[in-house]
Amino acid sequence: MTTKDQKEQTLRSRVKEIAHFYYQRGRMPSFSEIGEMVGLKSKNAVSKLVKKLETLKVIERDEKGRLIPGSLRFPVRILGTVEAGFPSPAEEELADTLSLDDMLIQNHESTFLLKVSGDSMSGAGILPGDMVIVNKGQTPRSGDIVIAEVDGEWTMKYLKKSGNSVTLVPDNPNYQPIKPKNELKIAGVVTAVVRRYQ
Amino acid sequence: MQDQPITIRSWPQAILHLDADAFFASCEQAIHPELRGKPVITGKERGIVAAASYEAKARGIKRAIGLVDAKKICPEVIALPSDYETYSLFSVRMFEILRRFSPDVEEYSIDEAFVDLTGLRRKFHCSYEILAAKIQETVEKELGITVSIGVSLSKVLAKVGSKFNKPNGLTIIPGRDIHRYLGKLSVDKIWGIGPNTSAFLNKLGIRTALEFARKDMDFVKKHLSKPFQEIWGELNGISVYPVTAEPKSSYQSISKTKTFTPPSTDERFVFAQLSKNLENACIKARRYGLAARKLIVFLRKKDFRNIGIELKLSRPTAYPAELFDPLRKGFDQIFQAGIPYRLTGVVLSDLGPENRIQQTLFDDPAKIEKMEKIYHTVDELSAKYGKHTVQHAASLPTKLQMQHEGARGDIAARKTALFQGENKRQRLGLPMLHVKV
Repeated sequence: MTTKDQKEQTLRSRVKEIAHFYYQRGRMPSFSEIGEMVGLKSKNAVSKLVKKLETLKVIERDEKGRLIPGSLRFPVRILGTVEAGFPSPAEEELADTLSLDDMLIQNHESTFLLKVSGDSMSGAGILPGDMVIVNKGQTPRSGDIVIAEVDGEWTMKYLKKSGNSVTLVPDNPNYQPIKPKNELKIAGVVTAVVRRYQ
Repeated sequence: MQDQPITIRSWPQAILHLDADAFFASCEQAIHPELRGKPVITGKERGIVAAASYEAKARGIKRAIGLVDAKKICPEVIALPSDYETYSLFSVRMFEILRRFSPDVEEYSIDEAFVDLTGLRRKFHCSYEILAAKIQETVEKELGITVSIGVSLSKVLAKVGSKFNKPNGLTIIPGRDIHRYLGKLSVDKIWGIGPNTSAFLNKLGIRTALEFARKDMDFVKKHLSKPFQEIWGELNGISVYPVTAEPKSSYQSISKTKTFTPPSTDERFVFAQLSKNLENACIKARRYGLAARKLIVFLRKKDFRNIGIELKLSRPTAYPAELFDPLRKGFDQIFQAGIPYRLTGVVLSDLGPENRIQQTLFDDPAKIEKMEKIYHTVDELSAKYGKHTVQHAASLPTKLQMQHEGARGDIAARKTALFQGENKRQRLGLPMLHVKV
């Protein structure tokens, strides 16, 4: 067995230990608990392990920096196979798959649908009749496609910020960019477009 | 005496009450942004104001008045047909947002919730006030509706807070400030105290909530029954009513009613309406694994007078086929030819778990098993293709007349703006923004 294989083996068994802890106790272990579990004496070593697992997205951190389960959370089934024997690689791969919902929707509670009627964003591949997915909870950044109200009119355009000025830019040569005169209200950021053909 | 705090403990526990402002109207304003700042009412199809936006309320429109009167009071009012699908989606999202903050969320009604915040100050590194403000902001940012929030030591006090400042209010009542909020509140405004109790309390010389809270326990025990002793405790900052986080998993009774306009004298049509209500009620009962022992049938005449009848069932059931006989019998007893009716309703009551039904000597097990199979299949088909994919022939005459004719027949925008792949019965479970872009 090569050292690389060995390393991976250890890492896998450590992930299993942490997952086991998470399912038994319903919370993530602290650093010292991880150390105890996997036999690491120094916090620094634990920290390195955590960082490694973070890059693998096995665990994540919340906005406050506390550990939360990443992919470790999903495969409840794998836990069963851990006890029964070595997990089959196929199952491990499937545990990390996304559903279409997961892929298209980041925050379910702030996501709305919108049916497009105009063609001002045809260059971006958004056509009349398309469904766009709009996230209301997201802070709009320059370059995002946004749903906005400009001087009493609703529109969907690229948001371009430079310095203090804001421009709404269409993606169709038949339309002109808009510079809001009075007011600009952004209702949400377009995160995806969905079109079903039949 | 008046200035003495009721309790000096500020936060032995913290209960939040959230009440969405003009919920149905606010949802409409959130999905139709061009309606923001305008007087909007919902309930067009019923001919009654179901909800009025604050702009409409400011012009004098109240809930439950007729649509015609509302138009008289404010001619520029925008009346919309109810879109319960969208309101429910907003409601679920509101509760989901609350659960990001605390696992103890009680879904009190479609637009109200209680949240137990006790102990969360450490987790969020902030005071209860800032935490409540964060909740309010998140709901407004993500859903586009405003809510009013009260935070205090008990549910009753939290409700005092959420009502204190509406709309978009945030009222924090720590223990030492309780008396400041109760002094000007008359007893009938307290949650759980109705007109009769408040009249009785007035006779005892109690007019304000504070006067009630200041009475000693012996006095309260002598004059009032247990529920009011509990309210008294809650007013004193002693939390009696727990925040129950479980979603509703059982019902005492299930009722389904539906209005139709114009009123009808057609016996077949009215019975079909009833039959459809029965089917709907049974679908819900089966979803929760319940069976009814009693069936109540009622009709509302054009002049808003109700007539109803209660029927005992020979066997607990949630299968319409078993209920049509009693339904017909009850209907024949209350229906009068020539009288126009505007609403029908059924109530399944005395509900119990379906799996604990005891069979009687006279039941026909083979027949019951067959029925089980049929309705199981009906439910499966509904899950796949939408409600009422298969329905009883008795419900078909509902098609004799539109549910609502004329302007009231408008249907919610969500039901007409369909995406490829959606149909009349099943749509994506996400609310839709109705703006032209």
